[in-house]
Amino acid sequence: MEEQTPVLEMRDIVKVYPDGTKALKGVTIKVYEGEILGLLGENGAGKTTLMKILFGMLKPTRGKIFLRGKEVRFKSPADAIANGIGMVHQHFTLVEVFNALENIILGMEGHGLLSKIDVENARKKLQKLMDELNFQVPLDVPVENLPVGVQQRIEILKMLYRDVDILILDEPTAVLTPIEVRELFAVLRKLKEQGKTIIFISHKLNEVMEITDRVTVIRKGEVVGTVKTSEATPQLLARMMVGRDVVLRIEKPPKEPGEVIFRVEDLWVKGDRGEDAVRGLTFEVRAGEIFGIAGVEGNGQSELIEAIAGLRKVEKGKVYLKGVDITGKRPRELYDMGMAHIPEDRTHMGLILEMSVMENSILGMHWRKEFSKGFLLDWNKVEEHAKRLIEEFEVSAPGTKAPVKSLSGGNQQKLIVAREVSKRPDFIIAAQPTRGVDVASTEYIRNYLVKLRNENKAVLLVSADLDEVLQLSDRMAIMYEGQFMGIVKPDEVTEEQIGLMMGGVKGEPQK
Amino acid sequence: MNLKNELRGYAKPVAESVLAILIGVLVGALVLWFSGYSPLEAYYWLIVGSLASTDGIAETLAKSAPLILTAITFAIGARTGLFNVGAEGTVYFGAMAAIIVTQYLQNPIAGLLAGLLIGALWALPAAVLKVYRGVHEVISTIMFNWIAFFLVSWLAVSVYYNPKDPNSTLPIPPSARLPLLIKGTSLSWAFIVAILSAIIVFIVMWHTKLGYELRTSGQNPRAAEYGGINPKRSAIWSFVIGGMTAGLAGAGLVMGTPPSYAITQGLANVHGYGFDGIGVSLVGRNHPLGIIFAGILFGALSAGATAMQQHAHVPLEMIKVIEGIIIIAVAVPGLLDLFARPFRRGEA
Amino acid sequence: MNEAMVISLLLGSLAAMVPIALTSVGAVISERAGVVNIGYEGILMFSAFFGAIFAELAGNGWVGILGGAFVGLLFGALHGVLTVYLKGDHVIPGIGLNLLGAGAVAFGIRAYWGTAGQHTVPSDAQISPLWMDAFGNSLSPMVPITIAVAIVAWWVLFKTPFGLRIRAVGENPEAADALGINVELYRFTAVLIASALAGVAGAYLSVDWLGTVTKQIAAGRGFIALANMVFSGWNPLIALGGAFLFGFFDNLAIYIQNNPWLAGTIPWQFIATLPYVVTLIVVAGIIGRARPPKWDGRPYKRE
Repeated sequence: MEEQTPVLEMRDIVKVYPDGTKALKGVTIKVYEGEILGLLGENGAGKTTLMKILFGMLKPTRGKIFLRGKEVRFKSPADAIANGIGMVHQHFTLVEVFNALENIILGMEGHGLLSKIDVENARKKLQKLMDELNFQVPLDVPVENLPVGVQQRIEILKMLYRDVDILILDEPTAVLTPIEVRELFAVLRKLKEQGKTIIFISHKLNEVMEITDRVTVIRKGEVVGTVKTSEATPQLLARMMVGRDVVLRIEKPPKEPGEVIFRVEDLWVKGDRGEDAVRGLTFEVRAGEIFGIAGVEGNGQSELIEAIAGLRKVEKGKVYLKGVDITGKRPRELYDMGMAHIPEDRTHMGLILEMSVMENSILGMHWRKEFSKGFLLDWNKVEEHAKRLIEEFEVSAPGTKAPVKSLSGGNQQKLIVAREVSKRPDFIIAAQPTRGVDVASTEYIRNYLVKLRNENKAVLLVSADLDEVLQLSDRMAIMYEGQFMGIVKPDEVTEEQIGLMMGGVKGEPQK
Repeated sequence: MNLKNELRGYAKPVAESVLAILIGVLVGALVLWFSGYSPLEAYYWLIVGSLASTDGIAETLAKSAPLILTAITFAIGARTGLFNVGAEGTVYFGAMAAIIVTQYLQNPIAGLLAGLLIGALWALPAAVLKVYRGVHEVISTIMFNWIAFFLVSWLAVSVYYNPKDPNSTLPIPPSARLPLLIKGTSLSWAFIVAILSAIIVFIVMWHTKLGYELRTSGQNPRAAEYGGINPKRSAIWSFVIGGMTAGLAGAGLVMGTPPSYAITQGLANVHGYGFDGIGVSLVGRNHPLGIIFAGILFGALSAGATAMQQHAHVPLEMIKVIEGIIIIAVAVPGLLDLFARPFRRGEA
Repeated sequence: MNEAMVISLLLGSLAAMVPIALTSVGAVISERAGVVNIGYEGILMFSAFFGAIFAELAGNGWVGILGGAFVGLLFGALHGVLTVYLKGDHVIPGIGLNLLGAGAVAFGIRAYWGTAGQHTVPSDAQISPLWMDAFGNSLSPMVPITIAVAIVAWWVLFKTPFGLRIRAVGENPEAADALGINVELYRFTAVLIASALAGVAGAYLSVDWLGTVTKQIAAGRGFIALANMVFSGWNPLIALGGAFLFGFFDNLAIYIQNNPWLAGTIPWQFIATLPYVVTLIVVAGIIGRARPPKWDGRPYKRE
């Protein structure tokens, strides 16, 4: 197989974002005609960035793309499609009120902008495509009324209608039920039979093992290696995907956890599409303990946090804080009861970018008496408070009256952590606390979380950064498709076991 | 240094507004010139009529009062993430409420309170439709403006008409009128009410918890919710406070404008303030203090228009042309950058 | 109510339908493409004014209609550049345009014709009716044209590739962009069509229906058209029907006003509020469901 010319080659691709983030550090991949290539990696490894470059959505900083031996450069997705490369995104790009037929023919409806669309002809063509692939989708129903799995097939049809012969699927199973996954795989096998080439982006080991011919593993913007699936084992892939180098050292003295501060019982939460994002979780966080939740993003972590922080409806189950049932309580009550929340979305939730450091320093505690003088806000006290936060957490800011958007990401995050800690909570949710944060700030924040734990606070850490969870947690759970694959102690588990659990293989639950 | 920082924050919006005003004046001059008038003469009389005499200044300030109040309606909305264009209809109701209530309670405070209250009440349906049915406020408030127009017209023509003057409603009784600040002009306490309202709104918006919650909801509803703020509650407050100032504008108009102290036929003398107020708010950068200045500017344009028509024979509607151009200029994204760029290139 | 009155009411409603229908159909096209414009009132003012000037210069009402369309197009281009290409706010320019239109036309009447607030268009510059009776009832050729415009607009929006693309860029410009559709071009084109239709509507006011230019000639029809657009659920055919209803209520209110014994039972102003109340009820989803295009009023910037 290695001798033939690849149908597609991406050579030495480098992508540096305007803010300096190096997403890809010279990635080379080869795809051969008629194969299913798996692209495996953790969140932020660079899989999607690489494919967006291939699909003409992003410009590479450096590097070349060869299609059937010829160098190509795509200016837009339409350009890529015209060259026979199609992509189905994780988040579908469908016009929700259009039916399948309209979505599929959009942009290539036939001759004459102002002549009647030849619906019958399109229908015939589509019917033929569907018959060949051995599946059906309703063509006349608005796609918003169709299940996610069907919408995905419409996306695939949309690409095939344009005669693409290389199809990229970005985390196609992330939103599917197990039955839908099986159906999707059947479609993919049919496509392969027809000679199509498929790039399958995933972090799920079982799926990669099942459907691909070869797997290229990417980690932190670099290719770790490429293996034939028939020669790979889940264990090997897990090691390749997760294997890492620890940079940061965190001092963490041993500590006996105290009483249960926070408890979740059989929690069910729905996602934005109405799917069950959290499926019956039960766990507890004790005083003086960091409980970490690891796992690839999009496995229900966001929904879990929002539900316990009062920002999303709990479908079923109970949440307790210090023994009190807090299910369905609003954020304001929760904060007054001793909860603090470092949200995962810094810029859209944790801060109001256009407002000042001062104004942001009291968000979620602005009603407290210490900041009021009669019915007026006491800006002097607020300023003192903001100054205290800046000093204590070494936030580098032009001043307390500067808009928060003028701060760097790391300093914005430190400001949030400072504010949340200043609420004097007993229980802190820290969601992706160091994402997109510089190394110095990361170290500071991680050490601070440990300090809180040493001060006998209960900390719930949710992070897609496995190192972070491993380093900080006293106990950790690995979340996959809304459930815990296991709850383990970081020092009693191997990388391989964690990799397997992140890929959806259940570990041994710990007593 | 802190003060300097703070001032720098205001510099850009102020500069953008000044630039927009300049564009309005310049394009207005071109229109005048093309139409065969002398721009210099027109502007000369515009300034003389509005600013060169006590009477002119009094007229300028008197005209600015309702504009400041309706501008605040829009500004509170804008600061809360809402496009509330409902001031127009609320003004009619505020004026009518003042007339009705002062027939029974012959006291200026009663009249103003009536305007305030009816303003708050009339704002509620749009607020409820927005929060509970997701009806966009631009659409609903335009509808409510029309409904207000016809309902108040009916009250004016069929219920509270003046038996002695078929062209107007019952007048505000003399003891309930807002006292004049300068005898022989139309400058009354309505202006003081407008300025006080602007200051109160400024304090509420920037120095109270409620204002903090309203602004947070407007800037970032998700962050607001996370911060323990109910964005829906904020939206309702925004409509209600905005309704109050628009209602006051209407009450002040009929209670403080000699000689009629009544609503005239076709609601002519209470018409248009709501929409002009939007322009005032935009030029005043949706800030109560900026609005005071912008309101006085627009007031000066109206006040000077009469002199311009009399002496330079330019139709007084010319000022609406200038106002319209100013607002379109304000709508150009990055207006200042557009103009600053060629200069920067020159430096290089 | 006798037969003559019914005919008069019907023809009056049709005449009043034309400007609202044309403007609404345009607004539907623009918003289907995702561009909000609340400046139609201003466009109606300008095109009524310039339409009359063109018609008088040419001595032909149809030239006035074309001139009105042209003037509308110019203001549409301004709005389109600000909103589609410069990604500016969709509502603010309209506020300025409305103010400008009201001022400029009042100013222009005095500056151009030297009369105060009103100018009668000479009959040779007016469009002659298709049909007329002895009582002064008439039917303008613009009535069938308007009906045709609404039908064609519906057909184009829902049956042709052009319409599919217009709707796609208003619902999900990202999806359209990914399939190689030039989002900005389609949005801009839609804005131009919309403002040209409003321009025709404005010229119709002065060179056909009313035969005069006044400083309040639009009389809120630009806003009524927006209400009607929402009422229609962004559908040109329903907008045509809605415009007829608005026209009907308008005429009915006048009819009641002029009948003392009727005016005593129900105030005409209450009848006049009905279209707005009904529109609110429709928008609130209490009867039916009117949902605007998803990207309506939002600028589209590629990632």
